[in-house]
Amino acid sequence: MTALVALPVLLPLMAAGLSLAFGRFADIQRVLGLVVLGAIIVNAALLLYVADVHGPIVLQLGGWPAPLGITLIADRLAALLLLVSSVVTFAVLIYSIGQRVADYGRGTSSTTFHPIYLMLCAGVSLAYLTGDLFNLFVAFEIMLSSSYVLITRRTTATRVRPGMTYTIVSLTSSILFLTVIALVYAATGTVNLADLAQRVSELPDGLQSSLGLLMTIVFGVKAAMVPLHFWLPDSYPNAPAPITAVFAGLLTKVGIYAMIRTQTLVFQHESTWQLMLAIALLTMIVGALGALAQDDLNRMLSFLLVSHIGYMLFGLGVYDIAGLTGVILYVVHHITVQATLFLVSGLITRHTGTVALSRMGGLAKAAPLVAVLFSIPALTLSGVPPFSGFVAKLALLQAGVDAGTWAAYGVAGGAVLTSLLTLYAVARVWSRAFWGRPQEPAGDPDPSDELVVGTGTTSPAMMVASGVLAATSVLIAVAAGPLADISGRAAVDLMHGETYRTAVLGGGAGG
Amino acid sequence: MLALVVSHLLVALALPWVAARNTRAAFTVAALPPAAALVWTLGHAGAVLGGQEIVESLAWAPRLGLEITFRLDPLALLMTVLVSGIGVLVLLYCPGYFGPGSADGRRSAPLLLAFAGVMLGLVLADDLLLVYVFWELTTICSFLLVGQSGISREQRRSAMQALVVTIFGGLVMLLGFVVLGEAAGTYRISELVADPPGGGAMAAAAVLILIGAFTKSAQLPFHNWLPAAMVAPTPVSAYLHAASMVKAGVFLVARLTPVFAGVVAWPVLTAVFGLLTMIVAGWRALHEYDLKILLAYGTVSQLGFVMVLVGAGTHTGAVAGTAMLLAHGLFKSALFLVVGIVDHEAGSRDIRELSGLGRRLPWLVVIAVPAAASMAGLPPTLGFLGKEAAFEVFLHGGAGQAAIAAGLVLGSVFTVGYSARLLWGAFANKPGIPATAAHAPGAGLLLPAAVPALAGVVLGVVYPAVDELSAAYAAVFEAGTDPYHLALWHGLNLALLCSLIALAGGLVVHAARTPITRVRGRLVNPLNAQRAYERSMALLERVAVGVTGRVQAGSLPTYLGIILLTVLAVSGTALLTRSTPIEQFRAWDRILQVPLAIAILIAVAGVVRARRRLTAVLLVGVIGYGIGGIFIIDGAPDLALTQFLVETLTLVAFVFVLRRLPVRFTQSDPAPGLRWVKMLIAVGGGVFMAFASMIFSSARQTPSGVSEQYIARAEQGAGATNVVNAIIVDFRAFDTIGEISVLAVAATGVASLILTSRHERRRRRGSLPITERSAADESAAPGNAGAAGPIRPGTGEDPQGRDPRQEEVRE
Repeated sequence: MTALVALPVLLPLMAAGLSLAFGRFADIQRVLGLVVLGAIIVNAALLLYVADVHGPIVLQLGGWPAPLGITLIADRLAALLLLVSSVVTFAVLIYSIGQRVADYGRGTSSTTFHPIYLMLCAGVSLAYLTGDLFNLFVAFEIMLSSSYVLITRRTTATRVRPGMTYTIVSLTSSILFLTVIALVYAATGTVNLADLAQRVSELPDGLQSSLGLLMTIVFGVKAAMVPLHFWLPDSYPNAPAPITAVFAGLLTKVGIYAMIRTQTLVFQHESTWQLMLAIALLTMIVGALGALAQDDLNRMLSFLLVSHIGYMLFGLGVYDIAGLTGVILYVVHHITVQATLFLVSGLITRHTGTVALSRMGGLAKAAPLVAVLFSIPALTLSGVPPFSGFVAKLALLQAGVDAGTWAAYGVAGGAVLTSLLTLYAVARVWSRAFWGRPQEPAGDPDPSDELVVGTGTTSPAMMVASGVLAATSVLIAVAAGPLADISGRAAVDLMHGETYRTAVLGGGAGG
Repeated sequence: MLALVVSHLLVALALPWVAARNTRAAFTVAALPPAAALVWTLGHAGAVLGGQEIVESLAWAPRLGLEITFRLDPLALLMTVLVSGIGVLVLLYCPGYFGPGSADGRRSAPLLLAFAGVMLGLVLADDLLLVYVFWELTTICSFLLVGQSGISREQRRSAMQALVVTIFGGLVMLLGFVVLGEAAGTYRISELVADPPGGGAMAAAAVLILIGAFTKSAQLPFHNWLPAAMVAPTPVSAYLHAASMVKAGVFLVARLTPVFAGVVAWPVLTAVFGLLTMIVAGWRALHEYDLKILLAYGTVSQLGFVMVLVGAGTHTGAVAGTAMLLAHGLFKSALFLVVGIVDHEAGSRDIRELSGLGRRLPWLVVIAVPAAASMAGLPPTLGFLGKEAAFEVFLHGGAGQAAIAAGLVLGSVFTVGYSARLLWGAFANKPGIPATAAHAPGAGLLLPAAVPALAGVVLGVVYPAVDELSAAYAAVFEAGTDPYHLALWHGLNLALLCSLIALAGGLVVHAARTPITRVRGRLVNPLNAQRAYERSMALLERVAVGVTGRVQAGSLPTYLGIILLTVLAVSGTALLTRSTPIEQFRAWDRILQVPLAIAILIAVAGVVRARRRLTAVLLVGVIGYGIGGIFIIDGAPDLALTQFLVETLTLVAFVFVLRRLPVRFTQSDPAPGLRWVKMLIAVGGGVFMAFASMIFSSARQTPSGVSEQYIARAEQGAGATNVVNAIIVDFRAFDTIGEISVLAVAATGVASLILTSRHERRRRRGSLPITERSAADESAAPGNAGAAGPIRPGTGEDPQGRDPRQEEVRE
């Protein structure tokens, strides 16, 4: 049973090695990737079931008791996010295989993509499952180094700079992360999260809040919260659609996850946390305004991504069970919907040959299926009922109204305004790209950069992958009842860290 | 009821396939679900009017208060008859209007049916959140129906305006719903009506919800989306913008008035905005030349009228409101369909072009006259009954009530005026305008228009039926000793006088249309809602571009600076203001640390000042060796060894890379002011880190159990005499696996880049056929310049941007 906790990390790690070895056998790489990522979905579903029914599943690696060794732990939150993420990585893999087959034929292999992609998945899984602060850093490194390779793949002169922006900002935040870990270890002598919970609370107030805020900044850079978000809209649009999809869907949310985990488990809730509400509001509005100022479809989606990070910060700022329930629901919703949107953007640009909205038109007639595939996640993201964005937003609004402070009311109002701006932004995409007279596809200056592939062709696999993700977000809305319940239970776990601590450290919490 | 709503949506999903083959069949099929809903509802009418209520409930997300609850009560009954009944008629009218093979028709069939479904859900919903769900869905349907193909700019702009305005209202309303629901602990409307919550939140909820209702029902100052939406095909306007969707706002107010009985703002706001809307829009309608726009302003005006009634919160108000709701749905849809026929057969709906149509289309006149009579409030129509009741509501109160009544009379004068203008404009012989040619419309167009027009008269005559329905809804309100009943004749009373004044005034207004238009030309319009909308959207664009342009600098140094500043500002402040002083501060442990530290600091200063790349790299090396030296002094020779090795390797790698880069840094020097800013941030960051490490190291309260355990268990448990080794390969072996993976990833990435450039070169020389390049390595692609040439200056030293030292820092 406990092996289930390690498999989501080990399987893709090992598969990555194999995939690299079979670099010239396209089909073997593809089957390997799909089987492994498919297996992780099943694995994650099992973990979620067990964690929900029997409590957290803990694996002490090497048999060393915590806090000596490294702890892997799957509680409700980790298992739930792992499940959603694995669905996304699976669908994105199908999409990119479809894209590759459509563009280069079935026999063409992709030496580095598959291994690195699997590595990325391993890093994401580890980030969710680890119960150790330093190991979380390692997970981030696996994830990020893979992402550096993926974002600079097939790089062209124009794309070097955005790739570098991404890489250097990420490295900066990694250095900062490492520094924080050093400070934490210096002050407490442990890096086990459950153990830290006890030890950090023994520190003087100033040190606690300073550490907590530093950690928030570290994860805030990854999560792209304003004012640490600048790198995201400058770099994400410059990667191929499936890469951006998985980055947008997962990487920022891993940052949010780390923030939730550390802020609930390790640090005490304190008054400075009110600051988070202001940041949430700022993130929402700055992101949404940024989206309105764009003509580049991908850049617009990137700004919307930033904007909706604000919703998650909102729930985190409210900091009670209802708020965290809302955050969890929002994360689950947003992982799928943002990935879907970027995949569909890939489909759109294949028909238009350009990302410039002003040069698109008439797609609803030319590609009706793409129109449907766009409209579902677009409405979902805008929080139009009955889709998942509405459910998650509702949970957050309720939490904000229940919190009853003026700050919370203000952010709830901001959330509503952001919804409006989001809808306006995506409706403008509809109006410009899908309505109007069909435009001649713009000539794609370089079809091989995979950034914009204006060939006008889409393969069934790409449509199916986008469709599966769109259907997943619809399913999230349909299953909102059980999902809200499990998120609620996960939020209770978070607010009362005892379950987690006991599971890791055994009966006498505090070790 | 759920089955009814779902059947609409399911059929709508399948409808595009039918519509692609046969549009007429598609509309016929589309009419079936609303017809079923109508039959089902009428079948239960007796029971519902007898006091029974039919409820269906299905849990969705109970934790969030989301449940799918439908309830058929008198108000829902009335709305369902309107929504489904008019829906059937409009769908049957569509084939004749669109004609076979019309793209708009193909598009509209499924959308109209889907709209009928969500509208049905909206009126049956007994849960605030469910109301919101359907509410927004009607908006989305309207967006697509107004925009149609979106070919013309006008279509796109009108659709967008309707969307933005109504979604804005919807979202504000959602916030109101949440405030209300959280205050009451339930979102179930019937429970809220039975036990309205109190408290300060109610006033906020009332205002928020009313904003939603006002936008949807096109009340001032949000009304302009409705006339703009008249670019939609006429059946769409008849259905959405006359009979159903725009009614959602007044319907919601009618639903919630009992809940907000204790909130003073509720009736005041509905009365003020409703009255204002009724008068201003009525005045506008008097001057329109486009018959459809005239009707649209008429709709806005009438919705204002109904808003005043349903918001009043009295028994008579409820009776009058429901009667007017029904009357307006019937006559307005009939008139829209009539105008559609005029447009379809005569090719114009401009008053200045139409002349003599009355003689050519006599049947159309037969339909239009009773409908317009109902609109004007002439007996024996339903419109008359409603208007009589409406005057009655406000005739027995104080000055405020009397003012409202006077306003209603003024509004009614305009209503009569534009009703006359409509009939005159569409059918009259106008001197100086040549008689308009027109085809004779088929029965398929005439019948759907005739039904609601005649229903308005029939229901006026058999008024007890409507009265029963109205009274059933009004039963929530206190009736008093002598409750008002709808009737054609109440005797000679004040209400009748008001009706007469309205009628006479309206006819005068119509007769004096030329001077009135001249007067209007001189009036300055102080509140032009359309311009206000356009200005605010333009402002939004400007703010968006302005903010983003300022915030998103696109410069990496700026981004890094902001990250560092945030660290300093946020956690530096926390550390400074709230931390305890450092105890046991020692400047150094061993004297040798001092010269090393000084050497490192000098090297740091040198790096910053260096102009040549090689100098900078060498100085960075000095820093690394210096740190290695500190490790030696602290008694960690293995760590120092690693540090030296890595430092040397890095230097060697750098030197290889530098061969291909310009000797000097090519970036021009920043402005002196900027230099200072950069320096401040850098020094601040360094000082913060130095202090933080001192403070945190001295803060440890209890000895680290972990490190003691490591030392204790290394030999026995891990079989290692070197504790560091034991940590790396046993205690925390998983970290090591992870870091090795990171190295493997980096190596793969670098290899891929190198292979790319090699293949690129070979391909350029033509030795590698294009089909094979990707087989060898996927990165080998044409135009892949970045990896082939030298890395551009200023983008980082290492192709992967990874600093190899990073892997080692943890040791």
